[in-house]
Amino acid sequence: MSSTFSGDETAPFFGFLGAAAALGFSCMGAAYGTTKSGVGVASMGVMRPELVMKSIVPVVMAGVLGIYGLIIAVIISTGINPKAKSYYLFDGYAHLSSGLACGLAGLSAGMAIGIVGDAGVSRFGKFVEIQFDKHGRI
Amino acid sequence: MSETAILVGASSSWARALVKISPYTFSAIGIAISIGVSVLGAAWGIYITGSSLIGAAIKAPRITSKNLISVIFCEAVAIYGVIVAIILQTKLESVPSSQTYAPESLRAGYAIFASGIIVGFANLVCGLCVGIIGSSCALSDAQNSSLFVKILVIEIFGSALGLFGVIVGIIMSAQATWPTTV
Repeated sequence: MSSTFSGDETAPFFGFLGAAAALGFSCMGAAYGTTKSGVGVASMGVMRPELVMKSIVPVVMAGVLGIYGLIIAVIISTGINPKAKSYYLFDGYAHLSSGLACGLAGLSAGMAIGIVGDAGVSRFGKFVEIQFDKHGRI
Repeated sequence: MSETAILVGASSSWARALVKISPYTFSAIGIAISIGVSVLGAAWGIYITGSSLIGAAIKAPRITSKNLISVIFCEAVAIYGVIVAIILQTKLESVPSSQTYAPESLRAGYAIFASGIIVGFANLVCGLCVGIIGSSCALSDAQNSSLFVKILVIEIFGSALGLFGVIVGIIMSAQATWPTTV
């Protein structure tokens, strides 16, 4: 029974935790970005309803971060297969670090998108185009 | 055959500590987290949306029936948690006590644990996100009813995060195969 097993018993713990970190932290970043820019869009839209559809871009950018986390989590999770290939502690730690890299990067990106999106959308709502007539006067 | 594991592979202090914990412990904690934390996220979102909705409806009663959709989006997050918890608990199998600490059952325990964590925390942040956007939706709908559908688009993006968690949780639970032979 244990003579046919090669690899490390506890390595899948770190591997699966890497997949969990990838999706969990990316979703946190995506949620933060969606929330912060969405609240900005809603408060700007009260004054200028015609600009709301253009202002949804930060929300879409933040949603994409969740998809990145999903892809990495699925790749890691299907890569843990001790029957096909021995899974050592090295592989487990590698998966953990890749999951943390994707997840924490997604978290930071999501927070940045949220703060910038909120600020940008409220400035966009206050922006007034200056029209010049043919003599160059306002 | 004793019930404690004899490490075949390399051992570090982490590994020697982890093999002492039964895979059923990890599985049970994973299932509990998947439903408990999902319901926490749903409840958090519902009370954020609900309090804004009721307050805004004092001056604009027309918004109440349309904005119940935000509450339904938050509730869906709790339902995802229930579904995955039920799926995970059907993955639990009884193995003979000589096999409880075999490498394959350890791996199954870790898979269920990680699956539960993924679903729980993805649904927590999704519920929060949908709740806060739902409250903004109610408040802006009270001012200008053309805004409701536009802010609802943002809520739909937010609720996709819970779905990602469910998808990965179910894919990972397929890895939870317990040893069948002695």
